[in-house]
Amino acid sequence: MKRLVAALLGAVAALAVSPAPEAKAQGSCTIALIPGLTTDAFYITMRKGAEMAAKAVGCQLLFQGGPEFNPTVQVPVLQAVIARKPGAILIAPTDKQQLIAPLKQAHDAGIPVITVDTFIDDGKYQDGQGNGDFPLAYIATDNVMGGYMAGEALAKAIGEKGKVYVSNVKPGISTTDQREEGFKLAMKNHPGITVLETQFNEDDANKAAAQVQAVYARNPDLAGVFGANLFSAIGAADGVKALGKTGQIRVVAFDAPSRIVGDLKSGVIDMAVAQHPAEIGYYGVMTAFAVINGQSVPPHIGTGSTIMTKANIDDPAIAKFVYSD
Amino acid sequence: MPPSTSTIAATGADTEPRRHPALAFLMAAWPWLFLVLLLAFFELWARAAFSTSFLLNPYNLKSIALFAALPLLLGLGQTFVIIAGGIDLSVGFVMGLAAVVMARAMQVLTPVDPALALAAGLIAAFAAGIVPGLINGTLISRLGVPAFIGTLGMYGVARGVGFLSAGGTTVPVNNPLLFVMGNGTVLGIPIPVLVTVLVVLGMHWTLGQTRFGQYTYAIGGNRTAAIRAGINVRRHTLYLYMISSACAAVAGMLYTARFSAGAAQAGEPLLLDSIAAVVIGGASLFGGSGTIAGTVIGALIIAVIQYGLVFINVEPFWQFVAVGIVIIVSVLIDQSRHRLTGEKKEEG
Amino acid sequence: MAQPILRCVEVSKRFGGVHALERVSFELHRGEVLALAGDNGAGKSTLIKTISGVHQPDEGEILYDGEPVRFANPRAARERGIETIYQDLALADNLDVGENVFLGREPETRFLGLLPRLDRAAMRRAAHEVLETLDIDIPARKLNQPVRNLSGGQRQAVAIGRAIYWKAELLIMDEPTAALGVPEQRKVRELIQRLKRQNVAIIFISHNLQDIFAVADRILVLRRGIKAGERRPHETSGDEIVKLMVGG
Repeated sequence: MKRLVAALLGAVAALAVSPAPEAKAQGSCTIALIPGLTTDAFYITMRKGAEMAAKAVGCQLLFQGGPEFNPTVQVPVLQAVIARKPGAILIAPTDKQQLIAPLKQAHDAGIPVITVDTFIDDGKYQDGQGNGDFPLAYIATDNVMGGYMAGEALAKAIGEKGKVYVSNVKPGISTTDQREEGFKLAMKNHPGITVLETQFNEDDANKAAAQVQAVYARNPDLAGVFGANLFSAIGAADGVKALGKTGQIRVVAFDAPSRIVGDLKSGVIDMAVAQHPAEIGYYGVMTAFAVINGQSVPPHIGTGSTIMTKANIDDPAIAKFVYSD
Repeated sequence: MPPSTSTIAATGADTEPRRHPALAFLMAAWPWLFLVLLLAFFELWARAAFSTSFLLNPYNLKSIALFAALPLLLGLGQTFVIIAGGIDLSVGFVMGLAAVVMARAMQVLTPVDPALALAAGLIAAFAAGIVPGLINGTLISRLGVPAFIGTLGMYGVARGVGFLSAGGTTVPVNNPLLFVMGNGTVLGIPIPVLVTVLVVLGMHWTLGQTRFGQYTYAIGGNRTAAIRAGINVRRHTLYLYMISSACAAVAGMLYTARFSAGAAQAGEPLLLDSIAAVVIGGASLFGGSGTIAGTVIGALIIAVIQYGLVFINVEPFWQFVAVGIVIIVSVLIDQSRHRLTGEKKEEG
Repeated sequence: MAQPILRCVEVSKRFGGVHALERVSFELHRGEVLALAGDNGAGKSTLIKTISGVHQPDEGEILYDGEPVRFANPRAARERGIETIYQDLALADNLDVGENVFLGREPETRFLGLLPRLDRAAMRRAAHEVLETLDIDIPARKLNQPVRNLSGGQRQAVAIGRAIYWKAELLIMDEPTAALGVPEQRKVRELIQRLKRQNVAIIFISHNLQDIFAVADRILVLRRGIKAGERRPHETSGDEIVKLMVGG
């Protein structure tokens, strides 16, 4: 029994001690980054960019979040972070509505709030409108631009002709809606290509796969599918494979977790649009640093994307955008 | 008194379990000691690393209390169910369902009258919460469905109905009274914490001081004995699951109030925390033991660990490990407590 | 002679086509110990369950205190002073002695005239008293511990104490010594003698001839639901009882 207690205390002490926080925090410059969830490659990559920036400007980065994308989990973490009174908080809010009041607490405590990747309220800050107008900036991938890039790349791959459609999650999600918007914008430049009705799969890869087969049945000249998020693309690719049309019907994916490398190499997916989460983290910290030092910042910053293909995925300059696990 | 040789006690004397009194005390009091140690640890760390106080910071205390309140509410009802030898896996989604139903009702009625909307919202949430308990209790007590399976089914049903009524997203409510209920304070204590304290006191009394509580222990200790003693075990079991889901409904109300929105997934991450709180607090998953005070301490331990580790900026993944270790250790301690206090009967 | 406390007149009980009891008659007086002997399936359990209200007789009559009775359930029988102690004792192991004695019948007071509250002091006092009248000495410290910490004999004593506290006039015991070691068996036999002196009528089922001959005033032997015989211990022998049990 004594051994048990000793082991317990030892274990707790050990986990608290081993990743020792930089107790000698540099001055007062502490910036907190609260991801939507801690176990996702996208946010882990974002953290790397943020750390790079923090090191460059001599700030300490607090990276704290919950294991699930859920306000119930995120809010207590936020509150503990507020107690540390960091110079600024970067957060990927897990709900547009429910994070408004908790983030207001930080704002009221004099801590500047910047949202990354996702936003609260309408995502348009400092315009004098809405309850969630107080964050100073929203930094995220320019999804319209990402969709546009996907459209241009697909048009080129299919030789400027044939039919394509967007495999999307469901209407009403800001990010995927913007990707579709950008994709269709690009297609306007290519009169030889017909854009079919968008198919909604509710984030179910299986459904996305069935939809490809149904669309192909009606449109034998189907040439390409744009999967607006990972599951849409994986599902679409699977459907194409089942049709035996891999390489003929081209699939473009949005997002680049590490499995995408294999999918590109095997040709199941032809192209992937990689967001730059590290860039989001980097600009997030830089923006926070500017705010801490009294500079003004733009209320919206859009970060870039990169097109990945089988041909360029081995190039280190491209491969670095694969989200790290 | 006659000489004890003519009495049964003579043979009972040597059945005294061999144990050290100090050790027995440690076993019974360990959750309290552990909480004190945790607080001392974070206090020292805060002083050493950031030369600030962890405990004397009212903001920290308030945040921890708010953090602990929701899993604790689920744990309170769960304590009754677990003592009686059952389990309620549906509480998380019942909480979410209550939160969504309340938000929906208030969304409709707030433009009419904010006060009326709040009253209607609370009633609707309570009703939405109590029905799953009624069904759970009926399945388990009348139809003999195992608690694990019955409440797992309700977990799915409440989840589905919750998302359906929320239309798959969160349901925002803009009601000033609701905001006060969720974010106001009385004498510096947040209202959700006060509500939780009231429920704790009521539950503590019910479990420790009334026949109802006594029957709960008896059913968990020996169901047959309870039946033979004339206790209406079926009806009692029904009540237990209704208490559990009523607690979940209260948690849902407080959630909606705090966040000015209802969400079906609100309680999803809280189920395991609530069961952990009950177990850390000294209840056995086999039934028969457990206390409300223990569950309160258990919930506080979980909240303090998770909050404190964020506060001192420990790598997030280590936080899972820490909570996991505490649960395993508490179960191990429970096991050895049973061994030491003589689970097996020695004959004289 | 005084009125018998219990009289069974030609009691029969059938389950489907099986005659579990067939016209069994006997009587029992206060302060008398009746041993029920018989092979497995002879109808011993059915008989005690029919007396204690678990089953109702299909034919025949049960007179309690000279008055015909028909108990709808064990609770009704208990209200008339018929207590049954089953082999597994029906103690809640996680509760203490007083809580077990009062299980299902806990006294409640009002705290501040408002909140219901168990009267634990009364429960403890009563538990102590009843154990004292039965001359059972369980250390005071143990009275407040879960009964799982008690020995088998002490637990048996608690179960009997509970029955006595609730003014049992007829105590039915199913194999009261079966799970006990030899010294504790002796203690339980002593306890039965004491109850007898306190004028309690006792029916007990036993397989143990030693027990039967030590404490019983009369032995009722059942075979396949039929009363095979009734003997006084000093008029019979173990061999005869066994013969009655197995027939032939």
